Amino acid sequence: MAGRMLRWGLGALVASALAAPSAWGAAAAPRHGGVLNAMHREDPPSLSIHEESTISTNWPMMSCYNNLVLFNPLRGQESAATIIGELATAWRWQDGGRSLAFTLRRGVRWHDGQPFTSKDVKYTFDLVREAPGIGARLRLNPRKQWYAQVQAIDAPDPYTVVFRLKRPQPSFLLLLASGYSPIYPAHIPPAELRTRCVGTGPFKLKEYRPGELIEMVRNPDYFVKDRPYLDGIRFIIIKERGTRIAALQAGRLDVIMPQEGTKTAAEQLKKAVPSMVIFQTSQNINDNILVNFKRPPFTDARVRRAMSLAIDRRGYIQAVRQGGAVPGASMLPRPWGVWGLPASELATLPGTGDPARQRAEARQLLSEAGFGPGHPLRVVVSTRAIALYVDMATYVIDQLKQIGVDATLEQVESAQWFAKLTRGDYELGANLTGIGVDDPDANFYENYVCGSPRNYSQYCNPEVDRMIDAQSQMPDPVQRTRLVAEIQKRLEIDGARPILAWDIDYYAMWPYVHNLVPHQSVYSYARFQEVWIDR
Amino acid sequence: MRRFIVRRLALAVLTLAGMSVVIFVLLRLAPGNIVDLLFQSAGYVDPAEKQRITHELLLDRPVAVQYVQWVRQLAGGDLGTSYRYGLPAWQIIRPRIPVTVELGVLALAVAIGLGLPSGVVSAARQHTALDYGLRIVSLAGLSMPAFWLGMLIILVLVRVFGWIPPMLYVAPQADLRGHLLQFLFPALAAGYRSAALINRMTRSSMLEVLREDYVRTGWAKGLPGRAVVYRHALRNALLPIVTVLGTEFAFLIGGLIVTETVFNLPGVARYLVEAILWRDYPVVQNLVMFIAIVVVLSNLAVDILYARLDPRIRYT
Repeated sequence: MAGRMLRWGLGALVASALAAPSAWGAAAAPRHGGVLNAMHREDPPSLSIHEESTISTNWPMMSCYNNLVLFNPLRGQESAATIIGELATAWRWQDGGRSLAFTLRRGVRWHDGQPFTSKDVKYTFDLVREAPGIGARLRLNPRKQWYAQVQAIDAPDPYTVVFRLKRPQPSFLLLLASGYSPIYPAHIPPAELRTRCVGTGPFKLKEYRPGELIEMVRNPDYFVKDRPYLDGIRFIIIKERGTRIAALQAGRLDVIMPQEGTKTAAEQLKKAVPSMVIFQTSQNINDNILVNFKRPPFTDARVRRAMSLAIDRRGYIQAVRQGGAVPGASMLPRPWGVWGLPASELATLPGTGDPARQRAEARQLLSEAGFGPGHPLRVVVSTRAIALYVDMATYVIDQLKQIGVDATLEQVESAQWFAKLTRGDYELGANLTGIGVDDPDANFYENYVCGSPRNYSQYCNPEVDRMIDAQSQMPDPVQRTRLVAEIQKRLEIDGARPILAWDIDYYAMWPYVHNLVPHQSVYSYARFQEVWIDR
Repeated sequence: MRRFIVRRLALAVLTLAGMSVVIFVLLRLAPGNIVDLLFQSAGYVDPAEKQRITHELLLDRPVAVQYVQWVRQLAGGDLGTSYRYGLPAWQIIRPRIPVTVELGVLALAVAIGLGLPSGVVSAARQHTALDYGLRIVSLAGLSMPAFWLGMLIILVLVRVFGWIPPMLYVAPQADLRGHLLQFLFPALAAGYRSAALINRMTRSSMLEVLREDYVRTGWAKGLPGRAVVYRHALRNALLPIVTVLGTEFAFLIGGLIVTETVFNLPGVARYLVEAILWRDYPVVQNLVMFIAIVVVLSNLAVDILYARLDPRIRYT
């Protein structure tokens, strides 16, 4: 099986220091007991992972569930090579990559005592892909597209599940390994899982006090012997960022929440508490510019290219992110990401070269498109009315002004943001995009293929779509990496969604916390099964 | 007196009815509703699904129908169900009320405890170094936003002592000392501004009264200074101060948002912001009505207190 995994996955490509277990995690013998106080920034929109797209749900709720397979929590870089079994004990590709069969663990029980079987697996993924005749329905279903290639799911016996695909898709296993792919109980209506949790995971939901606390308690019947180590986890909700950091510093919290560690906060914490452990990792979230392909003059490739050339990416990272981000194309850059373009190739993309020369080229392109000092291009840069977004848009406006574009800012209420984008009711948008899994299928199908609901730029290039389909089916990781790099370059040159930077997460925790290893994607490492403390 | 109270209560009902319309309409004028926000947090929009959820939550019904339904529910003691949590709104609001009321009362106690004596001293020692010092402190209180002071307290505590108050609510029956410690700093942060206001009001009111003939007579006939200031002057200076106290208490209850947020107290005020951000109409409407009731009742209490303090006032 290992050989097949290597063939279908990308294991050989991802060896890096990030993939090793943390030094302190491996050093001492784990201890049982204790309650971990974890930072939480807000109430989750609901407790149902399948219905949400936010770390605010995954962070507390992942510990309640299990997946069929999961990215190894102790390895920092997620890839095909770091996938381990959870509810599945074995898996194999069949029919030339068109079927994926799982053998399930026996003797597993849901938190309410019901036995776990293949029926639950089939139900979960039929629910998510909205298979005909399933009956139940998710209120929101943000990742239906992930399962677009699933033709049918068979459960020939209680401990075997076979996913039959329309065509080979090596990435399918990675999607199943994401924190966004827990198995739901078939005997509980999905609406109930918005307010409570019935999983098979290492922790049970003890109490949820809205606005205050989500408390998990050790599952004594967990199927992994001697796990979890912790007696419980308290996710303490603190709305005010300054108070959150002060609480961590004062020891009221043991660990920060993913996405919450800024460079400034990390530096302050380290100065105040030198023993504080701070990981520098990625969030798998990029800052990007949405260019509305349906709105003139952005129908003109020269104008789009001029926009992208005008924005100095390194200046952006320093001015807006205070150095807490790195440049990249549409896939997460290395060393955190598996698929990112090498620095030499990144340096050839718009916005990464000498700013003065790029601006000159941008002015030339605008002039060719009919815009100049006598007839300036006027654009509105829309963004969410949140400081982080407004900072980004303000920088973009400043950069555009330097090539003679008369840009103005439009702040949009958060509630209206995605509706506005979906309607195509904007010219330029300053936006953030989080990618669930560091994988080309998860990213390209969601954000770049023609007609995808989240392709807010309405970019459509049939040739790129063909390349995306081709990489999705490639069994050879080396060939696939090469094609993915070509696609990334093409997307940047086309100005499909110019990437400004990829955000860095400064993950902080007290040194007595062990085996909590941040991954390059924030959504998949909150199982807490292996975490222990020696306070 | 009874007739006065009944009339004021009837007026209060009318005021609250008007408030209910204002709250209801204003809330719906804000862009977006819970369905928009659910999709926003999920990062996509599906118009068909959106329509379905809007229908499920009855948000596609005419606004007037929604209003009548809310008032009917409210009259029957039913506060509705939170869109966000799927729980009865009362179940979410109820445990938060004592937290906010306690913080409001403690903040008011801090305000009276600091503001009243310092105002009296300031007036009695007008144009002395002590007066100037107290005026500077009170001016600082009026100029300093509560959230900034709260944040400053947190930062000083963590920097100097490596300690901050508990981040989870400590019930008094579980740990009284911990509970008081948890409320001490937020009460100081919230009460400081009110203390400054009361200080200013007490000082100016006392200065006015201290120049009255009957006070001069008191001094002339040799009454001890303490008796003149506290028994004769302060009592007559209290009327405007009580007015301020009434409005300050109402202001504190509605204005504890930042203090509760900075000190992470699970009160009504903090939760109100969260509910507004999520356009959780049943929760927002009922919480704002709660605050409106507090304002109306505290004003009524102040009016009743007037008669106790000033025998010249008669209610008809």
